[in-house]
Amino acid sequence: MEQYVELTIDGAKIRAKKGTSVLDTAMEYGICIPHLCHVPTLSDFGACRLCIVEHVLNGRTKITTSCTLNVQEGMVILTNTESIRRLRRNIAELLVAEAPNSRAIQDIAVRCGVKEVRYPFRNKNCVLCGRCVRVCREMWQANALGFIGRGKERHVDFPFGVKPDFCKNCNTCIDLCPMTITPCPGPMKPGEEYLCSKCEGQLMTTEQIPDTCVWCDLGKGFQCARQVQSG
Amino acid sequence: MFKLKHIDDLEALSSRLRQKREEFMAVITMCAGTGCQASGARVVVDALDKEMREKGLLKKVRLLVTGCHGFCEQGPIMVIEPGNLFYCHVRPEDINEIVSETIQEGNIVERLLYTDPVSGEKISTERDIPFYRNQQRILLTQNKIVDPRSIEDYIATGGYLSLAKVLAQNTPEAVVVEITASGLRGRGGGGFPTGRKWSLCRAASGDEKYVICNADEGDPGAYMDRSVLEGNPHLVLEGMLIGAWAIGAQQGYVYVRNEYPLAVEHIRLAVKQARQLGLLGDNILGSELCFDVEIARGGGAFVCGESTALMASLEGKVGEPRPKDVHTVEDGLWHKPTCLNNVETWANVPLIIKNGADWYAAQGTEGSKGTKIFALTGKVKNTGLVEVPFGTPLRTIIYDIGGGAPDGGEVKAVQTGGPSGGCLPVDKFDLPVDFDTLAEAGSMVGSGGMVVMDQRTCMVDVAKYFLTFLQDESCGKCVPCRIGIDRMLEIVTDISEGRGRPEQLELLEDLAETVCETSLCALGKTAPNPVLSTLRYFRDEYEAHIEDKRCPAGVCRELIEYVIDAQKCKGCGSCAETCSHGAIKGEEKQPYMIDPQLCRRCGMCIDVCKLEAIKVA
Repeated sequence: MEQYVELTIDGAKIRAKKGTSVLDTAMEYGICIPHLCHVPTLSDFGACRLCIVEHVLNGRTKITTSCTLNVQEGMVILTNTESIRRLRRNIAELLVAEAPNSRAIQDIAVRCGVKEVRYPFRNKNCVLCGRCVRVCREMWQANALGFIGRGKERHVDFPFGVKPDFCKNCNTCIDLCPMTITPCPGPMKPGEEYLCSKCEGQLMTTEQIPDTCVWCDLGKGFQCARQVQSG
Repeated sequence: MFKLKHIDDLEALSSRLRQKREEFMAVITMCAGTGCQASGARVVVDALDKEMREKGLLKKVRLLVTGCHGFCEQGPIMVIEPGNLFYCHVRPEDINEIVSETIQEGNIVERLLYTDPVSGEKISTERDIPFYRNQQRILLTQNKIVDPRSIEDYIATGGYLSLAKVLAQNTPEAVVVEITASGLRGRGGGGFPTGRKWSLCRAASGDEKYVICNADEGDPGAYMDRSVLEGNPHLVLEGMLIGAWAIGAQQGYVYVRNEYPLAVEHIRLAVKQARQLGLLGDNILGSELCFDVEIARGGGAFVCGESTALMASLEGKVGEPRPKDVHTVEDGLWHKPTCLNNVETWANVPLIIKNGADWYAAQGTEGSKGTKIFALTGKVKNTGLVEVPFGTPLRTIIYDIGGGAPDGGEVKAVQTGGPSGGCLPVDKFDLPVDFDTLAEAGSMVGSGGMVVMDQRTCMVDVAKYFLTFLQDESCGKCVPCRIGIDRMLEIVTDISEGRGRPEQLELLEDLAETVCETSLCALGKTAPNPVLSTLRYFRDEYEAHIEDKRCPAGVCRELIEYVIDAQKCKGCGSCAETCSHGAIKGEEKQPYMIDPQLCRRCGMCIDVCKLEAIKVA
């Protein structure tokens, strides 16, 4: 028999299946928590840190990622406080400065409230969210992709840099990659990156009608439950 | 070798070995830790052994080759008992004189005595040296009385009797209660109460449990764990045995970095000896305790000092931390309850059991009990390992023990806790050193590194150094740590190279706070501390770099210029010869000039100028 626990997310009393993560539960109930590395059905490893929430425990708040935090009886979670919004905005700003050419990342940044980027753009083509690596390992059990190197050198590659014959050519890695969603007005010229205004228009909607998720093609792969319904 | 089958066997062996050691009329203790070996202790030991053999003294005088004594700067160090005579910088050619004069005649060899750099006096006994006198050495004293390569030596000094004590009591719960009462907190940096960790791990469900000794010490300038593991591996093993008994673990691991060859060798030897004597294996000393230890060598990643990354590495995976929403005491190595402690923490355990929790809790402060070893390095006269009770003011450590800054300099700040810690200025030197006080002041005890800085250290440069280190050592898994540290380094580099803008300071603080709050593991969570603490206490230096494009300490190359004082320069031309960039020109017997366009500020000319005519402007 399924066991359930009761917890509070943003003041709402929620009944959740034991063993599920706070992020999944929140999304199921239409509380949108931005996320990038989380993919339903894949294991969570807490790399992008966008889904951070405040976990109130014994009067102290602890900031942690909701994807790796499992629901517990009587848990109190705050997903949308002033400090969480600020920290999330800063992380999204770091991400978009790394990869301004990705429509998905621009969208996340704008939805997290990034209006200007205070760092020089870098125009990278990977943000190491690990979606491809995990889907290859967990769903297809191919292990054809992996992380290589440490720190700044870390990158995704085939073993020894050569496409192995155990790669199943399923292309799920490409499907899940946030970088393969076409950038809004075509690729930006290096040195002239900017945040596209289309996303800002969407931001207006979220600000004017709070607690609603904006349905958009841009966030493909990042939909919450409500978006799936409307899609 | 026979096996110890009962506690009585161990006690009998201990007293027998002790009697044998009392027969010697004198003991020559030679430090052969890594520090002293680097200054040639091995050759001295060989020479001493040969000399004593030739003079037939081996039966009368005991040559004790030990681990690190802590005063590494003065190495190789020799202490002669009785008399507590202290010789430093001993060379192989001094051995003949030491043996014939001191050992045979009882005279002191004046030239080998230690000269106090503060008073300039020669001090003959070890206990009178200010460096040692102001310390309270509980763990390091043990290093001086045992040969790390001999289990007999350890047993003769009462080793493994604490284990025998807890096994005789036969109540593992009581051990956890004792450790909890002692107030021991984790020495690896986090300061988590050890007793609580043990009781959580004991209460965790599952029959299979593990204990791990974390000896992956990687902080620049810190080597406390190495010295303990190298100098007294059996003490750490005994601590682990007691921990395993208390928790109910059957298997232990020592994760030691491969860059510590001597520590690896000694702990391996210790495990082998303990297995031979039956102190590791099944039914240890006739009790129900079955426990064995394996040694794992780290591959050189700093992040593997983090508990979950270390466990991943032990499992054979890439050394990356994982989220700790479920603690490792419940879900650790191979997803089994695991108790991981630092070398120093394990080493404290047998002493607490031996002397009682009250004895231990009597030292230190309200929140931090016992003593802590610090690695005192940088711009101080006496560098080495310092063991003091918690609550000792920074001033005592830096001035009374360290002797203050050398060469007439003035201490400006101290960096505590390695890359995760912060810089504290002189006006904070009266702060007592304990976990909570230092954390409040924006630094931390950390694993115990203490780097002293003087007026010639640029704080922006210090922040840059630690950020570079952390950027290299970050595993790269989570965004704030990987990109955040990189961006902070970018900003600090801008500032140190004269491209800084005033608004960048605010951005730096905002970013530092984000990295602090949101990183996955402790490496990222503490990484901004060097930046935050220097910004807090030395903001004026950052402002000087940004607004006046000036480096007050004269360190940041892009902001300084070398000039030759025409009054002092006699035109010898040695600086022009050394300069590999051809930046110094002039005629002989006339003052030389430096071309600032060509000068790369390498500082070679300053080193060769005998007249000190080259200055930083």
